[in-house]
This record gives sequence, structure tokens and C-alpha cells, in this order.
Amino acid sequence: MSLVTDVWFQLLRHLRMQLRMRMWIVVSLIQPIIWLVLFTQVFTSLSTLPDLEGVSYLQFFAPGVIVMTVMFGSAWAGMGLLHDMDMGILDKMMATPVTRLSILLARVMASMIVLLVQAMVILGIAVIMGVYVTTGLPGLLVMVILVSLLGLGFAAFSSGVAMYVKRSEPLVGVVNFIALPTVFLSSAMMPPNLLPEWLDTMRRFNPLDYAVTGVRDLVLNGWVWPDLLSSLGVLSVWAMMGTIFGMIMFRYKLQ
Amino acid sequence: MNAILVDKLTKVFPGGIVAVDSVDFDVRVGEIFGFLGPNGAGKTTTIKMLNTLIRPTSGTAIISGYDIRKNAAGVRRRIGYVGQNVGVDEYATAWENLVLYGHFYRLDRSTLKQRMNELLDLVDLAGHEHRMVSTYSGGMRKRLDIAMGLIHWPDVVFLDEPTVGLDPQTRAHIWDYIRALARFLNVTIFLTTHYMDEADQLSDRIAIIDNGKIIAVGTPDELKKSISGDVVILSPCSAREEDCQGFIEKSRQSLADRSYVVAMQAMERDLAVYVTEGETALPDIVRRLNQDGIEVRTIAFSRPSLDDVFLRYTGKIIRDQEGVPTTYADIQRRRNKRKS
Repeated sequence: MSLVTDVWFQLLRHLRMQLRMRMWIVVSLIQPIIWLVLFTQVFTSLSTLPDLEGVSYLQFFAPGVIVMTVMFGSAWAGMGLLHDMDMGILDKMMATPVTRLSILLARVMASMIVLLVQAMVILGIAVIMGVYVTTGLPGLLVMVILVSLLGLGFAAFSSGVAMYVKRSEPLVGVVNFIALPTVFLSSAMMPPNLLPEWLDTMRRFNPLDYAVTGVRDLVLNGWVWPDLLSSLGVLSVWAMMGTIFGMIMFRYKLQ
Repeated sequence: MNAILVDKLTKVFPGGIVAVDSVDFDVRVGEIFGFLGPNGAGKTTTIKMLNTLIRPTSGTAIISGYDIRKNAAGVRRRIGYVGQNVGVDEYATAWENLVLYGHFYRLDRSTLKQRMNELLDLVDLAGHEHRMVSTYSGGMRKRLDIAMGLIHWPDVVFLDEPTVGLDPQTRAHIWDYIRALARFLNVTIFLTTHYMDEADQLSDRIAIIDNGKIIAVGTPDELKKSISGDVVILSPCSAREEDCQGFIEKSRQSLADRSYVVAMQAMERDLAVYVTEGETALPDIVRRLNQDGIEVRTIAFSRPSLDDVFLRYTGKIIRDQEGVPTTYADIQRRRNKRKS
């Protein structure tokens, strides 16, 4: 069971580090609020569109903001790993008997925990602004699972890329290249029916979209089981693929 | 008994760059082993292979009885690695850093606590253990870094350039700590450095690596003796003497048949005599010159520094001088250049 304790002690380290960076906490909580307020203001006239069926754009967009926050946050997980690499912390750790998988998992889980707190804050604010969660508390639990799986995958892929490129500049490039298109190739901002056909096809290959539709169903439409199960399935595979990729890159570093 | 036994260890990087080329050496239990080489010679690649951070292309090494290829996990339990970069977490206290490493080595709570107090005393950080590392000086960080590598009573500690980037005073302090480790904790220390004085001061034995190959192994004294022993500088000329060169030439002829003389070099008012061993050569030189009626006005002998050894072995001076033996003047000039 050394994997569990190894993850636990590193998780403590990462969370402690995050908590000690006060400025960072403030910024990361304010940023999604800005998203929420700003976007709903800009797109306010969209609620008159027939496909939103009387749902306010805030109601429609809040799930998107939650998922986007988790995705953007976790896509940067590799930066922390690069910091450890530059400081010699990673090499020092790798020369100890610590399980290799725990180094990756602890990082990924730390960013998950932080992002889930963020997501909950956003949801809380959305509720205050008038969003109603149809499925209530059980729905909230499933939402947590959905965004965690999404974030796990992104964080693991990001860590894997960091291991491969070994420098922050290319990682920044990769994340910037991936992040925004991933959002636009999904129904995060626009109802699926209003997307051009090719985009509507593309989004089915986009893990982010499965998280967005899953969370949105739970907020707006209740328990739509076939969609929900397919979202859970796809996101589980995504998370697993990320972890495997991350581990392969850890091995690669040993070469 | 060997702490480290290296057998034809080789690392070829993608692109065919041979960083370490079939290297063999052994490190005895309890010694401080200096691993010396210019930048890019293969020092760090070797240390990373020995620490299981990268895999050898071929060959292997046995550390504390564990093969780095077949039993990396065993090696990791028995070694401490203190890398070139200070691998400590700045956003944590010394205590938190040490606790994390204690858990990596599966130490139980009470053992760990006792060991931490012991080590904090050893590296003089007691009383600072609950301060954030970000408030530490460079020397304090390095000491913590070393303590973290010792938390589990390792058999072998690897110190990769332990004083690089530190000021001279801090360097001297770190040396004291390293000596204390070897003395009190009875660990084997594998030290890489490109500072000659550091290797000379600390090491029981030294290996010199250049272009991925070991070119010399021995104690600092053996290595120094191996390059022509000592250098005796004598002057047969008094201050007002006109025919100084004549006396020097006479001295040279007088000493030419001595078996301990390796080479001689006339200088403006001195004669440099390269001898196998200064202690025994000195009295004989004086006796011999007196017999031939030459009065020795001043005489001194010095040992070649490890710098000279290193330069000789890595070939740089010999190449620069095109085969002419290094003269005392050359050595002095080089020393002055380094100081300035």
C-alpha cells in the first residue's frame, strides 16, 4: 500500500504549497466569477434564441464555465512538474524508493482538489445568480465525478507533455494551442443545435464536450441516463488514457 | 569491500553522443571518492546512472550489493542523492521537507523524528527547522539538501557538485560538513566536482574523467607524484652575480646524472628541477652542488597541485606547449591567471 501513502504525503505537500500562495487563491477564485458575469452579459441576447427554449443564457452557460475552469486549470498541471524538474526536486525524488506512479497521481489529484473547490464556488455563485440544479445534491455528486475525470485526463496529459518537452515554453505553446479550440469544438458556449454540422460531429471526439453535456443535463434536464452513462464512460477512458500516457512519459525520462 | 563497483558502464545518448565510454572503477566502503572532470566530461551522466535516474546503454554497476540495472529499487533504498540543483521545496519548512523524505524511505514516526533531530544538529539547522526554506541562505539550503539525502542511513551518498554557486566561506563550511559525515556517520561519499581544491581537500581517492573515459585513479598524492613528482627550485646566483646563467648551466651539468631527476628547466635566475620525490632529492642536490663547488643560495620544493595533475592528464597543457615539459614559470603564470 505504499502507493497510497506515497500519494498522500505528496498530496499534502502540493496542497500546502497552494494554500501558502494567497495571491494565487484570490485570483483563481475571482477569475471564474469574471467568466460567469462577463460572458452572460455579452451573450445575454442569446437567450431569445429558440433553441434555448426560454432557459436564460446564464442557466445554459454555467455548466460550461465549470467545465472550462477545470479544463484550463488542469491543462497547466505540467507546469508544477516542470518547476520540480528545474529545481532538482524531481531527480532527488526519483532517486528514492518512492513509487513512480505516485509522483504523477499526487500532482494530478492535487490540481483536481483545488479545481473542484473552484468549481463548487462557481456553482454556488451561479445558484445565487439564479441557476437551479434540477438533480439536486445527488446530481452534484455525479458532476464532481464527471469534471474530476475530465481534469484527471488533462492534468495527466499535461504532465506527460511536460516530461517530454522538459521546458515551460513548449508546454505553454501546447496548452494554448489545445485549450481554446477544445472549448470552441464543444457545446460549452453554444447549444449543439446551433452549431454547424461539422462542428457538431467534431465535438463527439472531444472529452470536454462529454463533460459539458453531462453537467448541463444534470443542471437543466435531470437524469438523462443514456447520455450520462456515455459521458461517464468516455471520460473514464479519457482519464485512463491520460494516466497511461503520463506514465509512459515518466519511463521515457528514465532512458 | 567495495561500496561501488562499476563495470564497463556506458551511456550513448540519442544521436550517437558517447557521454560515458566503458568506465570501470571501484569505491571502497567508507572512503570519500572524488570524481573529477571538466564540464561535459561525463560526470553527471555517470552519477545519474549510478543513481538510477537514467539507464546505462551497456555495462553496469553494483552499489551496496545491488545491481543498478537489475535491482534499481534495492539501490534506491541504500543511496542518498544530493544533486547539483538544491532539490528542496522552498514552499515548505525544513521539517516538512525532511518528513516527506522520511516517508519515502518508509521510516516510522518515532525513528524519523529522532533521526531528523540528529541530522538538523549535524548540519547546524537546529532552531531553523520550522522556518520556510524560501527564507534560507544558499548554504542553509544546501545543508538541508544534504540532510535529506541522509535521512535513511544510506550506505553511499552521492554529492554532485555540492558547492557550485556558493561563496568561498560557505564552500569551506560545506566541506566541514562533508568531512563530518564521513567521520561520524561512516558513509561512503561519491563526490563529483570540477573544483580541484575541493577534490584535493576532501577525497581519499580521485578518479579523473575526460571525454567519457577514466584517465587516472589514485589518491591525490599518488596522482601528483605520477606526473613527475615534485619540483625543486634552486638558485646558485647571489643578487649581484653577473654570470648567473653560467652558474645555472654548471648546476644543470652537475645534476644531470642523478637518477631522481626527471627534467630540468633553466629560468632567468633559477633552475627548476623536476624530481621523483622532493624530500629525498633535496639533501642530495645540496650535497652534490657543494661537492662541485657551486653555492646554493636559495632552494625550495613544492608539490604539483591537483590542478597540474588534471591539466597534465587531460592533455591541455601538453598540447598547448607542444611536448615541452611544463615549467615552474608556466605553472606560476597559470596560477596567477586563475587568481586574477
